[in-house]
Amino acid sequence: MTELLVDGRRIALDQDGYLCELTDWAPAVAMALAQAEGLSLTPAHWAVLDALREFYAEFQLSPATRPLVKYIALKLGPETGNSACLNQLFKGTPAKLAAKLAGLPKPTNCI
Amino acid sequence: MSTLHILTHSPFADSRLASCLRLLSADDGLLLCGDAVYALQNGTRTCEALELMPSSIGLYALQEDVQARALQVPERVQCIDYPQFVALTLQHAKVNSWL
Amino acid sequence: MAQSLLLISRQAPWSGPGAREALDIALAGGAFDLPLALLFLDDGVFQLRKDQQAVLLQQKDLAANLQALPLFGVEELYACQRSLVERGLVADQLGLPVSVLDDDALRALLGRFDQVMTI
Repeated sequence: MTELLVDGRRIALDQDGYLCELTDWAPAVAMALAQAEGLSLTPAHWAVLDALREFYAEFQLSPATRPLVKYIALKLGPETGNSACLNQLFKGTPAKLAAKLAGLPKPTNCI
Repeated sequence: MSTLHILTHSPFADSRLASCLRLLSADDGLLLCGDAVYALQNGTRTCEALELMPSSIGLYALQEDVQARALQVPERVQCIDYPQFVALTLQHAKVNSWL
Repeated sequence: MAQSLLLISRQAPWSGPGAREALDIALAGGAFDLPLALLFLDDGVFQLRKDQQAVLLQQKDLAANLQALPLFGVEELYACQRSLVERGLVADQLGLPVSVLDDDALRALLGRFDQVMTI
């Protein structure tokens, strides 16, 4: 298990770098996680992360790629909700990386 | 598209057999293994229901499970060994195991 | 063309791993674009009851997960009418949009798929 230090708070991460406690999440945590991935978050990223947190609140699970694309298209429109755009925003692995930055568990059923 | 339904649980403990009997189509097969062979116990309602099934539905029981439990099976039932079990799965378009 | 699969889920939500396993297969199959349908049979129809409180049993919210099925591409959802009636469940107690089928329709449904799996 590793830790992330955010604003003096120690945040526990699992072996894959996902939050151990989903309640630890805060925007500052997302920024720190993104930084560790070499990513700086733009409004387009934030829109996806917000939508993803809504997805989790509603369905209590992390989406695989296809349902993620579908859901984002539904919530943010087809300009963002397509695999090309989401791949580009999240380094080619949107289901895994966006879930990580949004503080969700690692998606299962995902290659 | 005929289906071979495979049951392994006692019909006296749950509803698998009852539900399976309702879902059987005319050209399906029913194979009883493990505790499911207790459905063939003489004088029981389940045995009666199985004997009354249309003759187009194949009714099979795994020989060793029947013998191990000292059951005497009605003529309607065809007792089979494992090679016949395999052959039976190939004779049907699909297999539905009631896990 | 991938083989079509009918998954029959016939266990109550918290009686063991059965309900969760059936759902996981459905979600995985859907995520991989497998043509599949889910049928709730016997005690499986209890999974459909809305307003359940999984958290009281320290369980994951199965009912919430079930809502995600259409997004995972699993849009064919069925329930056995007889199982619902036997258990006193009526339409407005169900939290998922299922097509309710009688025994004849269920037999036709089973015949329509390449593979059937009952959990």
